[in-house]
Amino acid sequence: MSTNVALESFEEDDVAGAGGEDRPRPTPRASLRWIGLAVVFIVVLELTCRIEDWFRFRTPLFTPITSQSDLMVRDREGIHGRPNARFQKWVMNGLGTRGPEATLAKPPGSVRVVVVGASESFGLSESPGMEFPRQLEDTLGRWLARRCRTTGVQRFEVLNAALPGMSLPTIEQDVRNRIRRFNADVILLYPTPEQYLDEEPPRAAIPDSAADSHALSPTRVLYPRIIARARNEAKTVVPDFVMTWLRRRGTSAYISERPTGWRFTSTPSDRLERYDADLRGFIATVRSLGATPLIATHANVFMRPGAPDPHLLFAWEKFYPRATGPVIIAFDSVARELTLNAARDSAISVVDLAPRLASANTVPFSDFVHFTDSGAAIVASALAPAVLTASGVGESCGIR
Amino acid sequence: MLFNSFIFLFAFLPVCYLVFWSLRTASSRYVWLTLSGYVFYGYWNPWFCLLMAFSTLVSFLAGLGFLRWTLDERKRRLCLVIPIVIDLTLLGFFKYANFAVDSARHVVHFLGSDITLPHLNIILPVGISFYTFHTITYIVDSYRRVIRPTRNLFEFSAYVSLFSQLVAGPIVRFRQIEADLESLGQRERTRWLHVGVAFFITGLVEKVLVADTLAAFVNPAFAHYQSLSTAGAWLAMLGYTFQLYFDFSGYSSMAVGLGYLFGLRLPQNFNSPYKALDPSDFWKRWHISLSSVLRDYLYIPLGGNRNGEWQLYRNLMITMLLGGLWHGAGWTFVVWGAYHGLLLSLHRKVGASWDRLPAPARQVGMFLLVVIGWVFFRATDFTMATTLLSAMFAPTPGTLGIDVAVFLPVLLVAAWWAMLGPNVFEMAHGLEWRSRVVRTAQFAACLAVIAGSRASPFLYFQF
Repeated sequence: MSTNVALESFEEDDVAGAGGEDRPRPTPRASLRWIGLAVVFIVVLELTCRIEDWFRFRTPLFTPITSQSDLMVRDREGIHGRPNARFQKWVMNGLGTRGPEATLAKPPGSVRVVVVGASESFGLSESPGMEFPRQLEDTLGRWLARRCRTTGVQRFEVLNAALPGMSLPTIEQDVRNRIRRFNADVILLYPTPEQYLDEEPPRAAIPDSAADSHALSPTRVLYPRIIARARNEAKTVVPDFVMTWLRRRGTSAYISERPTGWRFTSTPSDRLERYDADLRGFIATVRSLGATPLIATHANVFMRPGAPDPHLLFAWEKFYPRATGPVIIAFDSVARELTLNAARDSAISVVDLAPRLASANTVPFSDFVHFTDSGAAIVASALAPAVLTASGVGESCGIR
Repeated sequence: MLFNSFIFLFAFLPVCYLVFWSLRTASSRYVWLTLSGYVFYGYWNPWFCLLMAFSTLVSFLAGLGFLRWTLDERKRRLCLVIPIVIDLTLLGFFKYANFAVDSARHVVHFLGSDITLPHLNIILPVGISFYTFHTITYIVDSYRRVIRPTRNLFEFSAYVSLFSQLVAGPIVRFRQIEADLESLGQRERTRWLHVGVAFFITGLVEKVLVADTLAAFVNPAFAHYQSLSTAGAWLAMLGYTFQLYFDFSGYSSMAVGLGYLFGLRLPQNFNSPYKALDPSDFWKRWHISLSSVLRDYLYIPLGGNRNGEWQLYRNLMITMLLGGLWHGAGWTFVVWGAYHGLLLSLHRKVGASWDRLPAPARQVGMFLLVVIGWVFFRATDFTMATTLLSAMFAPTPGTLGIDVAVFLPVLLVAAWWAMLGPNVFEMAHGLEWRSRVVRTAQFAACLAVIAGSRASPFLYFQF
């Protein structure tokens, strides 16, 4: 068996002249060539980003959508998903919901489930198609094929109407103004209570009635896509302790500009009351549309046994600087109780996800609250029986 | 730390390179290479460094023993046997303990006993299979007096912990880089700089642009292998065939390129294996450093082809079975090794008929035989292997599992490069501006792709 087949071809003589002991001074021509190389480098860098985006996600080579926030639009109905928008792995359909194409009219023989919520439901960290609403649709499909008999239901269709940062009042507004047209049988909410620890309590996004205000400028097609990639890569390269230091510094600087006593050092009861009221308002709105409301409790990585990871806690704090890390955790915990109470009082189904995720054998969270593929799978399998029950086919599937 | 990660490309490698060339003496460069190797290795898990340091020290001491007892055969044998037993015990424990326990559990269960055998919570240290072979070949070659063991601990530890080939090969024998190590103090930085850069970037292209692109198609298909149709199973397996080659070949090309950057010439590990015309030819081209080690340290000591036909087949089968097991602690790897042992034996037996076929037919035939073998290599268990094989060879309805319109052009490019095009050692690596433009463009394209998706680990790290 031969080794070093071609090694000898790179002996010293072959690279004579490669050494740079007495390099001549660069001529203008040589300088131009180096500049040319830099141009080639930059052009190929950007071109590859665009080609790869098309290759992996079918994102057009030239599109004005340059960030995740472009996936949403504010119009006369409030904030919701931008129809047919694509950015990286996130693909919106014609209805402005994340996932495969769907028609406004519900297909005959199908049960339509609309998932509403924030980034946890929209899906940030999961692989494409592995966010929990998509996995929920697959799980429901499997239930239907294997366990449900004589239901008359041919298909479960799950529309993911969640968007990053959607607060409960904005979700309620979206359900009232827009999602009502989807003729949903079940509207499933995965709330994010810690949004109530923001500087001000969340309010419904103000609708914008200007006709073209949400159109994106055509010149944005030239915005370099490499910037977003480089930013993400930089975050993965920086060690945890440096990121934590940067986050703490940012949070401290933010707090230092606020008056004394501004920061919550215990769970603020008025914010909890507000969350409770908004949640009950959402349930009422869904009922008024003739759909069945279904809610799930919010879970976070700190509900899992073991000492909390301080890096993650500081990362979470950066989003809600008004509260300390322990207050955010405590708030989420109390909000969970309120969610369970609201569901009991309203006689609707609730899925308590926190214990399921806390006891998972796999790693369910990619950060403090967002799911991994396996975490999303746990959520989907926990929600499926409740969706079947809420849609009225539970009994024929053996669920009591 | 992965070669195709930003931390390696823009932090580790530049620092390592600049400090290395700012040092003047061979000794200081050995120390620096050792240190950088340990930092590179410890990036995965610092505790693994202790294991490698222990293995290094044991082998180094054995080498000193060979120098001291040049005539005392009994002590020389002890210097041979003790470190090899230690190395293989460590490898066996970390890599094969759970495999043995799981296999024993199946046997016990099959016999109807209810004895419970626990699953051991062992983490496989990355690259242990590779550096164990480095130290074993050093000990055996010292014993055979093929090399003169070094008295310089840092020279030896630089060899074992050389980051370019530490975790996924090629398996470099001490004798292959001994001369370069000895003259490390006299090397000039620019001597092989452009060759090193060219090899590294070509390897990056193989890994990032070809292998990872193929992986993006075939991995989802394999995730739902039960639903693949006949065409889908073939497409997935063909994609994997090229993915595996470009992944491992890419890593080896990068390793060779890094070697050149630090004044060390590492051996060629792949010589266009899918151009092979028969099984014997394939193993002269695929993972050359491993197959040559298996030949020189296992097959020939077993007797090779010296003791008759049946001994030859037995030796081939033993060598390939152990070669299969080296790749992974699983029965599917053993079957893969046995399959190749069988191909080699059959070729010995009826090779004359095979050799009469036209060369293109032999190349395609051999390629298809290799693809079938990769089914066992890719399968996580026998259910998956048999399902895939049955889908490939019996008309099976189902899904393609792959977006053919996009996948096919990539597959064809990969197939052309692997089966007809030049490998990295056959390419011209000139200094002219056209080559520089091409390399700049290739590097930029790779960076853009790496930045778009987290750097994916190399398939051969698991071995």
